[in-house]
Amino acid sequence: MKNKIVLPVLTAAVSLVGAGCATNAHYVQTGGNQSVVTIGQINIQDYMQAADAMTGELLASGALGRVANPPAVLAVSRIVNNTGQQIDIDLLTKKIRVALLQSGKAVTTTTMGLGGTAEDPMAQGLQQENDFKSDVKSTRTPDFTLSGKIIQLAVKAGNTSQSTYSFQLSLTDPKSGLAVWEGEKEITKQGTRSSVGF
Amino acid sequence: MKTGIYLTLAGALLLTVSGCKTSVNSVENAQKTGQRQMVSDQRAVTDKKLYNRVSIVGVNSAMTPGGFLKVQIELLNNTRSPQQFSYHFEWFDANGMQITTLAPVEVPDQIQGGEDKFISSLAPTAECRDFRVKFIAN
Repeated sequence: MKNKIVLPVLTAAVSLVGAGCATNAHYVQTGGNQSVVTIGQINIQDYMQAADAMTGELLASGALGRVANPPAVLAVSRIVNNTGQQIDIDLLTKKIRVALLQSGKAVTTTTMGLGGTAEDPMAQGLQQENDFKSDVKSTRTPDFTLSGKIIQLAVKAGNTSQSTYSFQLSLTDPKSGLAVWEGEKEITKQGTRSSVGF
Repeated sequence: MKTGIYLTLAGALLLTVSGCKTSVNSVENAQKTGQRQMVSDQRAVTDKKLYNRVSIVGVNSAMTPGGFLKVQIELLNNTRSPQQFSYHFEWFDANGMQITTLAPVEVPDQIQGGEDKFISSLAPTAECRDFRVKFIAN
């Protein structure tokens, strides 16, 4: 009799717990505390944190305000990927560019790029055409260039893995060639396996 | 035989417990040069467990030379073990409208047992006048 009651109740409880833990596909907040955390890769929340921290530091420094004609014009230079993975640098730089534009302190040129390659070739062509037709040159040279590096440092002790990602950026005044602001954000992740949540 | 097992278990338990405990000693200048502009705050606590463990000591703010509002919050870990939490800042303009910039950044953080630490953030635009910070236990 006891078994007849206890067994179904236990089975139901176990299946309920199991169902509660099962994860069907669902939406989570990007970069939120339900995001997947991996040790050997840079996750979206890492890019978000690095971009947010460094944008805050850059704006607080006041370096962008020291230009003759605000807002400052920014050109994105080389950002070296020294990690063991293939990454799209725009995951970092686009967030910084958007935040700087929204702050009203800087705009980024899309017609000038490293090695003459423009992000927007059509805009570059039109700008060159306008400059050719007009006596007054419309092209505004950048007040600053943004360069940097992303470095990964991985270590292991027994089953525990640890990765430190160092996001480094420099804001250079091309007239003087001096870095007027430099920022670094380090993110360290440790564990034995990947997980969901912070 | 049984005593041996109990002693081993007790030792393992002691090691586990002592391994989780942390404590922080600190020293600072007694006569402060800088004066903090404290902000009177309004709190909404739904996670009492987290609030009792990591309490908010005070909130102060300042304006940067570029006209951005900077907010700093002092936190205190009331326990003797490290606490993990995440937080994110929300910003509002002069009309009380939330300023939505990029996706809100949740910053994971840790505070050692008994530690007193500061977290801070800079407003994304010069139009920000008010703020709200959300804390979530990890």
